[in-house]
Amino acid sequence: MTGLTLALVALVAGARLPADTGHGPGPYDIALFGTSKVPGVVAHARLVYAPSPFGIAVTADGRARYDVQITATGLPAPSTLGPYTTYVVWAATPDLTQWRRLGSMSNGETTVGHVDFNKFLIVITAEKTATPSARAGPTVLHGTSPSGWLQTFLTHPMFRGVY
Amino acid sequence: MRGTLVVLALCGITATAAAQDPGVAVRPFDQKHGGSSSVQLVAHVVTHPGAWKLSDIEIEQDPGRPYVYASGFTNFDAQIYDIQDPSHPKKIYDWTIENPELHRGIGAMDGKYFKIGKRYYYAQSYQFMQGSPDQDLGAVIFDVTGLPDTSKVKVVARISFPEAPGGFHNTFAYKHSDGRVLYIATVNEPYALVYDLGKVVSGADTSTWLVGKIPNPTPFKQLGSGGYHDFYVGYDPATHQDKFYGAGLGGYSVWDISDVANPKQMFTITGLGMDIAHTFTPSPDGHYAVTETEYQYTPLRVWDLTDGQNGTTQNLDLPISAWTADWRDLAHNHEVRWPYVFVSAYEDGFQVFDLKDPLNPHTDGYYYTCECQHEHGFGGTPDNGWESTVSVEQGAFGVDVRNYDGLIVLSDMRTGLWLFRLDGFKGWNGHDYGQANISSVQDYDHGPEGAPPHAGQ
Repeated sequence: MTGLTLALVALVAGARLPADTGHGPGPYDIALFGTSKVPGVVAHARLVYAPSPFGIAVTADGRARYDVQITATGLPAPSTLGPYTTYVVWAATPDLTQWRRLGSMSNGETTVGHVDFNKFLIVITAEKTATPSARAGPTVLHGTSPSGWLQTFLTHPMFRGVY
Repeated sequence: MRGTLVVLALCGITATAAAQDPGVAVRPFDQKHGGSSSVQLVAHVVTHPGAWKLSDIEIEQDPGRPYVYASGFTNFDAQIYDIQDPSHPKKIYDWTIENPELHRGIGAMDGKYFKIGKRYYYAQSYQFMQGSPDQDLGAVIFDVTGLPDTSKVKVVARISFPEAPGGFHNTFAYKHSDGRVLYIATVNEPYALVYDLGKVVSGADTSTWLVGKIPNPTPFKQLGSGGYHDFYVGYDPATHQDKFYGAGLGGYSVWDISDVANPKQMFTITGLGMDIAHTFTPSPDGHYAVTETEYQYTPLRVWDLTDGQNGTTQNLDLPISAWTADWRDLAHNHEVRWPYVFVSAYEDGFQVFDLKDPLNPHTDGYYYTCECQHEHGFGGTPDNGWESTVSVEQGAFGVDVRNYDGLIVLSDMRTGLWLFRLDGFKGWNGHDYGQANISSVQDYDHGPEGAPPHAGQ
């Protein structure tokens, strides 16, 4: 194996997981917020590129394709919330008109995917089955893709206290 | 010049100090309960279970429609109360944004009812933040004609402004002298938006809804993008002008918006201490005005607008007097029913003072509604429950007055909905005080008093 090939392999392998800058949440991290259904749960997500022979996965029209690594602690058994058996991860566009089921998750680390929306929400619900066709159960966690924060809110006065 | 400014500032302080109620000791924070003998508690409703309950409040003015609209703030809902029996308000309707658990922001902020033809509507403003659904949503419009039958309440329109996400913080519904009902909204841009509500509720093409933008000549660029915070619009029968009184965060400005598409700036109020210029409410004749700046320890200021209104000066910078409930706190919104000023005074609850002598404001009554710990007000983010350890922004947020009988409604961020009466205040009509009958209350059937009849009236 030549040095060039080794470099390419390393590049592809490295592209699956964006570098950890060590300075707190980065441009691939998603803070997940618990709802009142699950007080005490702590969770976050990280976007990783979906598997691809080209290192960075994109759709034919150029949108990035991600998998979502979710780390959670403190989630109660779904059955404690009602007639539910599992937690299901969804991706939704910000206007909530398009929903995509990404997979099931539980406490610990789970990787689900893929998602290729430009801006999106991650929503985790309790469901009766692992493969529901539509979201029906209660929401337990949600967060926004880093791309969803790219708005002109940085100096919006009304969110610095109430005024 | 520096010396001149110091002298001017001292003059302002002197005028301010002389105008406050003299010799009144401030009450210890832990003793702020109950009220003065002049204020009668009619009812109190705890509207929500959480730490934060309401933002603004609106009461309908027609005797046959006893309805109060409460903005549910971070609860994201709009509530309607039937106060046919004012001592027993009954919640009859509660609408919440779809998928509320996925939203983040300060939510349902300001509500205004209005009437077009024979139909009544309610506009609930919203503010959702970066990364939340509906971050471009400004207001949801309901047809409430069928009340008290809530099955007939319908959402008929939603106003969005994607060019500047963040929603509408404050709004004002105004029956313009040209006959249109206008909806004026703050936005995170250096202007106020003016919508034609007739077009909004009729289902007209959304591109026709926005009929004007009023520039903000007094931005406060340290905060936001230079937008307004709040405003009042009133007709001036003496000059036959529709006048916009804007609080622009960096100062105040008055505009002639008789031609809404071509607003004309008249004068400004800028000067020392005008940071976070928040609210601006004139007397019916535009002679005097009350302003608020949103920072702790600041009083409400009282202004003589004469030299600005008659064109003698382009800018005013010295108030004639000031009023505060407690210098350690901050008063928030107010409604002027000249000479009375009804105040939602945050930690100091409901307060009312009068400007019978504008140089010497006089407190007429109060009722403490916050029942809260000093300086533990609103702030931070949703992740810490919006709790702060420095803010006095908690307690009485909004106030409104029903003109035909003087009933007062107040929304408290911590404790919910309150109804009061003030001894001797049986209602308000400007004529009783030698003024035009002009306040924030609109005559949707006839238009502003003193305005020439408009086409179609």
